[in-house]
Amino acid sequence: MTRLETRDLTLAYDGPPVVDGLTLDLPDGQVTSIIGPNGCGKSTLLRALARLNRPTSGAAVLDGEAVHRQPTKEVARRLGLLPQGAQAPDAITVEDLVRRGRFPHQSFFTPPTDADQIAVNRALELAGVEHLRNRAVDELSGGQRQRAWIAMSLAQETSLLLLDEPTTYLDIAHQEEVLELIRYLNEHEGKTIAMVLHDVNEAARYSDHVIAMRNGAVVALGTPAEVINPDTVQAVFGVSTEVITDPHTGAPVCLPCGDESTAACRMADDCPIALAAHDLTLAYDKRIVSAGLDVNLPEGVITAIIGPNACGKSTLLRALSRLLSPRAGQVLLGEDCVRDLGRRGFAQRVGLLPQAPAPPMDVTVEELVASGRAPYQRWWRQWSDEDETTVEAALKATGMVEFRDRTIDALSGGQRQRAWLAMALARRTPVMLLDEPTTYLDIAHQVDVLDLVRALNTREHTTVVMVLHDLSQACRYADNLVVMKDGEIVATGHPSEVVTADLVRSVFGVEASVVTEPVTGRPLVFPRNAVNGRYRNAIIEVAPDEEAAPVAEPVLSGAN
Amino acid sequence: MSAYVLPDTAEGVTTASTRRLKSVRLGPVSFRLNVRTLGLIGIAFAALVLFSSWALTLGSFPVPVSGVINSVLGRGSDEYDFIVRTLRLPRLLAALMVGAALGMSGAIFQGLVRNPLVSPDIIGINQGATAVAVFWIVTGQPVGMLAPVAFAGATVTALLVYVLSWRGGVAPSRLVLVGIGINAVAAAGTTYILVKYPIERVGSAVAWSAGSVYASTWDDVAILSIALLILTPLAAILMWHLRILQFGDDTAASLGLPVEPTRLLLVLVGCGCSAIAVSLAGPIGFVALMVPHIARMLGGAMTGSVLILTAILGALLLLASDVVGQHFLPVSMPVGVVTAVVGAPYFLFLLYRANARL
Amino acid sequence: MVAESAPAISTQVGWRLAKATGLMVLVGVLLLVLVLSLRIGSLGLTTRDALDAIFNYNPESYEQTVVRSLRLPRTLIGLGVGAALAVSGAVMQAATRNPLAGPSILGVSSGAAFAVVTAIYFLGIATPEGYVWFAFGGAAAASILVYAVASAGRGGATPVKLALAGVIVSALLGSWSTALVLMDQETLDQVRFWNAGSLAGRPLGIFWTVLPFMGIGLIGAILLSRQLNVMSMGEDTARALGLHTGRVRLISGVLVVMMTGAAVAAAGPIGFVGLAVPHIVRLFTGPDYRWTIAYCLVAGPILLLGADIVGRVVVRPAELQVGIITALCGAPILIVIARRRRVADL
Repeated sequence: MTRLETRDLTLAYDGPPVVDGLTLDLPDGQVTSIIGPNGCGKSTLLRALARLNRPTSGAAVLDGEAVHRQPTKEVARRLGLLPQGAQAPDAITVEDLVRRGRFPHQSFFTPPTDADQIAVNRALELAGVEHLRNRAVDELSGGQRQRAWIAMSLAQETSLLLLDEPTTYLDIAHQEEVLELIRYLNEHEGKTIAMVLHDVNEAARYSDHVIAMRNGAVVALGTPAEVINPDTVQAVFGVSTEVITDPHTGAPVCLPCGDESTAACRMADDCPIALAAHDLTLAYDKRIVSAGLDVNLPEGVITAIIGPNACGKSTLLRALSRLLSPRAGQVLLGEDCVRDLGRRGFAQRVGLLPQAPAPPMDVTVEELVASGRAPYQRWWRQWSDEDETTVEAALKATGMVEFRDRTIDALSGGQRQRAWLAMALARRTPVMLLDEPTTYLDIAHQVDVLDLVRALNTREHTTVVMVLHDLSQACRYADNLVVMKDGEIVATGHPSEVVTADLVRSVFGVEASVVTEPVTGRPLVFPRNAVNGRYRNAIIEVAPDEEAAPVAEPVLSGAN
Repeated sequence: MSAYVLPDTAEGVTTASTRRLKSVRLGPVSFRLNVRTLGLIGIAFAALVLFSSWALTLGSFPVPVSGVINSVLGRGSDEYDFIVRTLRLPRLLAALMVGAALGMSGAIFQGLVRNPLVSPDIIGINQGATAVAVFWIVTGQPVGMLAPVAFAGATVTALLVYVLSWRGGVAPSRLVLVGIGINAVAAAGTTYILVKYPIERVGSAVAWSAGSVYASTWDDVAILSIALLILTPLAAILMWHLRILQFGDDTAASLGLPVEPTRLLLVLVGCGCSAIAVSLAGPIGFVALMVPHIARMLGGAMTGSVLILTAILGALLLLASDVVGQHFLPVSMPVGVVTAVVGAPYFLFLLYRANARL
Repeated sequence: MVAESAPAISTQVGWRLAKATGLMVLVGVLLLVLVLSLRIGSLGLTTRDALDAIFNYNPESYEQTVVRSLRLPRTLIGLGVGAALAVSGAVMQAATRNPLAGPSILGVSSGAAFAVVTAIYFLGIATPEGYVWFAFGGAAAASILVYAVASAGRGGATPVKLALAGVIVSALLGSWSTALVLMDQETLDQVRFWNAGSLAGRPLGIFWTVLPFMGIGLIGAILLSRQLNVMSMGEDTARALGLHTGRVRLISGVLVVMMTGAAVAAAGPIGFVGLAVPHIVRLFTGPDYRWTIAYCLVAGPILLLGADIVGRVVVRPAELQVGIITALCGAPILIVIARRRRVADL
């Protein structure tokens, strides 16, 4: 019997159960990851473990007693939870935030004691945010902010720690930063940790125990090596993968097999230029994001723009799509300067799919796709023959015909993204710009969307430019990479030429090994911080950016 | 994976016209029309005509339906003519047109803010007109100028809200909050005027601010008709742009729509509808809020034709409220009180059911 | 590392010292305002008259009688109402995590007005003492209704939903009030002055009537401030830290209704003090509600009495009701908040 377990746990919001009759143990002293597709009930399970959701039947059991029968403060002294996307009050400092983690140890009339302050200091030190204690949380970088929140949970001084998607919205370097901390807390502080993770490979690298869920039930559980295999991943995510072993860590790495038939390597150098930027200076209000950018985007090729958070990649895409007018320099579409093209003329040649667009919820798929025809329409010409045939073709091409009368809010994340792609397709623009088309999607939907993008590129010879978050995806799907850091372009070229260990280190600040994938000949990036799942003081090995350097000090002194 | 293969042509694809949307094409002009909406418009219009004829028979001096019809068509007897054409018809027509204007302005604002719970009365337009009109009344200025002055008050308030919401663009939810603030300032101004002046004059100012079509004249009707003749087609056309705008600013801009100019135009038309209504009838709440909802429930997403339906339903609702307030209550009540009593519970119900996104 | 953390801790202490000093300064300002409120009016008085009237009362003196019968009740009511409104605004903003929460948004005023109009029209009650209980009940009922409607649907009481529910309930109750005053000019005449919100003309008895409610509300708010701190970190985090969020929300709701109900009963509807004061003091105190509430307790009366004094001066010899002045000053603050915040946060 372990300290935290579930017995026949059933959870439901108003409707069918989200988690159905689940019985499992979370092994003490280990890092457990819960993985599964969007909506499989993994976050709900975590919330029930922390007493946030009341079970419909069965129970989450902490120390032999049903968690929802124990007083809430009692639970909070033994079990900490960091909810997903927690938002700090405006302008709160790191230390004040952490101090609030002491709440369960204080009672109504006792003021904070010295013991509280000691616990707060220790939490700050452990999470490596001590030097940031007087900074406001909302000024910090994503990784620092997440560590401040973890420090808040540490101040609770619980031996059990639950984390809901601690790495979402972070770039690869910050993800590693947070996961290293979690690993460290497990090994050196003896914390039992359970976390919901989005990324299968992160779970494989950083946990001792993996629970794979689908539709509210456990499909597989065990060590990463036992769980992460093609059959399980197929059963959980519904996507076929190859699983290889990371040469450095020995952790399994799962590579989705996309539609490989079209993956023929096309050399970008030979193509004419579809879209180009010359000496571009981009700024919001007074803040200059990029200065003197030069970039050429070849025609008929998929280009991916990659880089760490806030490196200016989305800003560049906004400038290319004319949403942001450059402070200086110009964007050229073929021979024409974008500024001289009319609004509609430009809209007929360049399409854009913004990040996480939010259409009105009562829009049907067909209506959404039809709106892609707007650049060709006038209020008196709302539905020409051509509009009709194009929309039908776009619906068919994206497999959305059967959903045409559904409203957007009745679609899953992946279907919704396809509907947007259908809209972009209905525009019939030779150039298509996509801003992070795979964010918020689980692995199966990501593959689905990227395969569709590639099919469009191959069949229609559409020039695709997309901002991507995930280095491996960019390597697999792009023929041309534009790598950015701090508003500058660091490298451009085919992934196999551009992506090297040196580049990953200098751009993302992560030590990684780069190997060539056998089937496609494309590079694969393995972050190398965790060796055999064991913690190494990797933060220090990495050539860190200025902010990360002092952070690692206290962690180190504790570790040695 | 075969689903990803693009068909070379659209052959063999079922066309939309097999469903309830009818494509109408004539040279360069082409539309998609929803047959059901057209049917609804027809039914609503017929109901409006019938209800109006019946409403004209009501009053302390009953007139038979035949008398009403003859009088309206200009072949009635003199005794009925005076009652119907001079006393009742202007009020009826004013009620209809005010209702239509309010309905359209509600539809525009709700679409613009992408929030089904917003109407021009919440964002201060009515209150601005009220403050100015109340001042005009209690200081004993010429009554003839009341409507233009109230119109100016509404317009200035709307512009103020728009300008104060502008920060490199007008974010709709900022528009609402700024509107609530301006609304409060105008309300404080109104209160000040009400406590400052003697009670005899304040009484009639409060009566105006309850909102009624009681004293409408043929002049009012003429002004309303001209305004609606201009604003209605404009609003119906702009619905197409509004729909694109609702997909989000970035998407709309990348589809070639000039985002801020379109938004300004929509605000102008919406305020125009609202201001003309408030200046002639006083602030009548809830019609602008409720009617677009009913229209959408019946006719689906807001398009040009659903907007027309909205206008007709607005006319119907305002007329019905006026008839109830005038004839079916123990004391005769201004139409604004009736619409609030009917509308507020409905609105609260909507809020209860509202989407979590709000 | 030691060298690094030592100044860090002293900064913390320094901050606390600065906040305490600030609070002391504010208390000084409040005392000054209290004296000014006793002195300034259509009859100008000296500080000596004002203080003598309280500590060394001479019934023969006309000046001192004015202070005792008019200025003192007015000042005490202003003190209580200002504190109650500001603190209840802070509590609401914390409990709902909503920067726009405030008594005026919750429909408190229109609820009270509704009850007062009804009482005047049907029961013929005509004195401020008579209104008190009706105003209190109406305010409580309306705010419960607004909050219930806004939080009932999916997604809970989001800022926009709360604001809209408040506006609508106000409009509904307002139209009922309008209907009544249209039928009876006498009612209108009484109501319009009550409706403007004023500290003038209230006997001292009203202050004693509402004091228990205000007192319990204020003390409760101070005791609750640590829970409110945790609450402001978000529902999930607060519950994970062992806070009974439902219970805290309920208690804060009861406290808010007691304070705002008492305030509106004593002074009529006074807008925007509850919304604006917490925002202003937060500029100095940061997000710690223990300090925010303490500051509100002092800053609320300063603002309200300050506005009242201004109202006595600007249109001499007449007076401008304090509710009008606070609305005129407060609405711009709302607009500034709306403009400054990222819209997604609202």
